[in-house]
Amino acid sequence: MSDPGAGAAAEEPIPDIPTRIRTGLAAGFWTSIKIIKVSVPLYVAVTLLKDTPVLDLLGKVFAPVMGIFGLPGEAAFAFVAAFLLNLYAAIAVMVPLHLTPFQVTQCGLMMGIAHNLVVEGGVLSTTGARGGVLTLCRLVIACAAGLLLRGLWGLWEIAAAWAMSLPGLS
Amino acid sequence: MDLLLPALLGALKLSAKLILIIVPLVTLFEVLRHLPVFRRAGNVVEPMMRGVGLTRDAAVPLFTGIFLGIAYGAGIIIRVAQQKGLPARELFLMGLFLATCHSVIEDVLIFVVIGGNGPAILGVRLGLAVVLTGLMARVWKQV
Repeated sequence: MSDPGAGAAAEEPIPDIPTRIRTGLAAGFWTSIKIIKVSVPLYVAVTLLKDTPVLDLLGKVFAPVMGIFGLPGEAAFAFVAAFLLNLYAAIAVMVPLHLTPFQVTQCGLMMGIAHNLVVEGGVLSTTGARGGVLTLCRLVIACAAGLLLRGLWGLWEIAAAWAMSLPGLS
Repeated sequence: MDLLLPALLGALKLSAKLILIIVPLVTLFEVLRHLPVFRRAGNVVEPMMRGVGLTRDAAVPLFTGIFLGIAYGAGIIIRVAQQKGLPARELFLMGLFLATCHSVIEDVLIFVVIGGNGPAILGVRLGLAVVLTGLMARVWKQV
């Protein structure tokens, strides 16, 4: 431990390149299984429900809350999937909803901060941290980030429209 | 039935897209993360970390979390935190930073694939993490 910066990492034995590639591919394989397991059923379910009044009706219930962040009511289902499961599940719900680029970006930002809350909250609790408090923090930060992005995106569009209106540019 | 088939096809296409990103990315991480360059990176990032109230002891767990994510990097994060005996203040600040900004490459890429704006997602997450952590570092003064 002569070099305090490298000390901790150096205690882990360094595997050779083929071993690392194998480890990476194995991890990728298990993630792929997880992706297919959650994405396929959710994608199919949302696609089939889209043509029924169910999604529309439930979407209207959540519309006021989602509207704060510039999102349609139906996006609430994607948030439920992100909070309870993971981002792959949320994406599988989002794609059949045909969101705009801003809405996809907004979901990516907010869900990137707050997702998989049940499992990760449990993991954090076992390390001695207050799982519940951290989960609440993530939800609050996600909302703050959502409001921030909505404001920034609006400003960006105004600036872009102004730039386009300048003589010689359009 | 004529609805189910296209739905199933769409679902498989989306899964394939996500898998084509995740597998090479995870493999690349696994190969790169042992490179000496990343072990010495602590010197370069130290001034930046001081700004958000962290010392170089937190560098390895912090960057593991930022790039690999909390779940995948949990082993490294917990082990280094215990070895270094990180104080409660630093653990809290690191947790706050990572809550806002973790697993950024994978998270951003999978949303870019379905039409999101990558720089916007990354920029807001990183900016917010720096501002929030920097703010809390000044609220919770070092003893």
